[in-house]
Amino acid sequence: MTATAAPAVSADRLIGRVAALATSPSLRLAARRLVIAVPVLWGVSALTFIVMSVLPGNAAQQILGVQATPAQVHQLELELGLDKPAWLRYASWIGGVLTGNLGRSLASGQPVTAIIGQRLPITVELVVYALAVSVALAVPVALLAARRPGGLADRLSMGISMAGLSMANYVLALLLVIALAVYLPVFPAIGFVPLTESVGANLRSLTLPALAIGLPLACFYTRLLRADIADQMQEDYVVTARAKGVGPWQVLVRHALRNSLFGLLTIVGLNLGTLIGATVIIEQIFSLPGIGQAFLQAINNRDVPLIEAIVLVLATAVVLANLLTDILYAVLDPRIRYGQRPD
Amino acid sequence: MANVPTDERLPLGLEALAGAPAPARTGRWAGHLDVGVPAAAIVLLFAACFVWPTLLPLAKPVGGNIFEANLGPLSPGHLLGTDTVGNDVLSRLLYGGRTSLETALAVNLIGLFLGGTIGALAAYLGGAVDAVAMRGLDVLIAFPALVLALAIADSLGPGQGHTILALSFFAVPVFARNARAATLRLRELTFMTAARLCGTRTWRMLLRHIAPNILPQLLTFGLLSMGAIMVIEGALSFLGLGIALPDPSWGNMIFQGQQSISATPLLVLFPSAFLFVAVLAFNLLGDALRARWNVR
Repeated sequence: MTATAAPAVSADRLIGRVAALATSPSLRLAARRLVIAVPVLWGVSALTFIVMSVLPGNAAQQILGVQATPAQVHQLELELGLDKPAWLRYASWIGGVLTGNLGRSLASGQPVTAIIGQRLPITVELVVYALAVSVALAVPVALLAARRPGGLADRLSMGISMAGLSMANYVLALLLVIALAVYLPVFPAIGFVPLTESVGANLRSLTLPALAIGLPLACFYTRLLRADIADQMQEDYVVTARAKGVGPWQVLVRHALRNSLFGLLTIVGLNLGTLIGATVIIEQIFSLPGIGQAFLQAINNRDVPLIEAIVLVLATAVVLANLLTDILYAVLDPRIRYGQRPD
Repeated sequence: MANVPTDERLPLGLEALAGAPAPARTGRWAGHLDVGVPAAAIVLLFAACFVWPTLLPLAKPVGGNIFEANLGPLSPGHLLGTDTVGNDVLSRLLYGGRTSLETALAVNLIGLFLGGTIGALAAYLGGAVDAVAMRGLDVLIAFPALVLALAIADSLGPGQGHTILALSFFAVPVFARNARAATLRLRELTFMTAARLCGTRTWRMLLRHIAPNILPQLLTFGLLSMGAIMVIEGALSFLGLGIALPDPSWGNMIFQGQQSISATPLLVLFPSAFLFVAVLAFNLLGDALRARWNVR
């Protein structure tokens, strides 16, 4: 080591912190989940393959349509390698995945990774936008509601959020279209403008879909956060803060909310899977060229490599989101971080 | 993927699970039950979708007269008007409600019995059985339901029975998880140990000791999932994979209305309102029951 004395100490402390982080129970849980996730992901991919190969009809038939002669279909089957037994196709696909090759789409012949690379950013942007909308709404409303449990703001927001929770996202999407695209033409009803073309137009084209996903989510988060803040307000540290003469908003925001946000963070992370599922139907309604739309097309075309890749991407996203939640938890919560080694 | 480590956290509702009466709810929060009553009334009203069509002098939900298409509400003979092909909207709403309720009920019953049994058995037997069952359910939960639903609809054709089959695939694992968590909580209670020490057989343990105690939680969950399943059924029909036109379902009515959304928004609004009120009623009822039985 060539480092001078002073940085060496801080490097030592840094290593200590990393070590403490690495041995924290929450991270060990994260590691265990990662190990469990591998067979689960494999199972999902195998199940998808089985379902798709048990189904009557294949990509060759779907691509050529009903007019095609059996000879033509057979010819295309040979070209696409669909004549080989299913297990052999699965084995070669898995081999490709392990070496980082997801294959080519049967319908378009494009590499699957290129299609996903094109479409995934749009879906990710939509999900991030929806999450931002929901959290930005949920936090202030929950604070307002929790300030006086049983008060007007509380009952009103709980009533509205119950209604919002009962609203299917496709219904909300259509209501938003009727209100904000047909009667008051503020936002476009369909279509997508790429981010590279115009940032403003891009956000405008994504606003209605993001609201359709984000509003019910906001209702869900509001109820959770309100319940959690109300619980926190019963804790001793809140009573202490109050006794010291800290103002009611200060107690809510600086003390209770800070602790409740952990719970929210977990739920947001765990929710990501459902959120990605919701994008399939919302992208269809607003004709956004995201991964959900590609998924529906791929299923209609029996485009097995593309279906497999999208399923794998979605399932991995869920697993990673859960993992990231665990790690964030360990990083953010001092009790977990310094649990092993008081600094 | 609900990866919440529910099993590790101890519940508050043990006393309720063990059969003790829930603590009386007084003060400002007593309101929970009051909501449950009107919610139950609405649910019953919707359940009457089975009866309405036979009592009311309604037009048939299919085979309408194309010359009577797009009539507005309050037209003679058509209280809520007609749709783009001339079918009576009210009649379609009621018959569609029947389909939605039937489907959700069937899926829930399958989930309750099959999922409940798998979850309770896995938790009670523990060990390798539990591990295998849970990983299997993990796969099913992580497996995009849409693939399966689309696959089933595509190969077997759309229809109510096939929709129920497809939806069951994702109701069963969720119920199983719930039943497992509830059973795990029970397992260590004294009465369970006592029953085990008496040499009670597994099936008897499940039927007499576990089932009655996890039922409140599963039923509450079932009520909440009625709404969720109606929404998903609607989504499948909306994508043209659930109940197929011309047969009515709220989902495919919304889908049909969407085609002419700017000209006749009412065709979207009516089924949307029905779906919304039905789901809300089930959610409120489930919530009220959860508060009453003190389960999570």
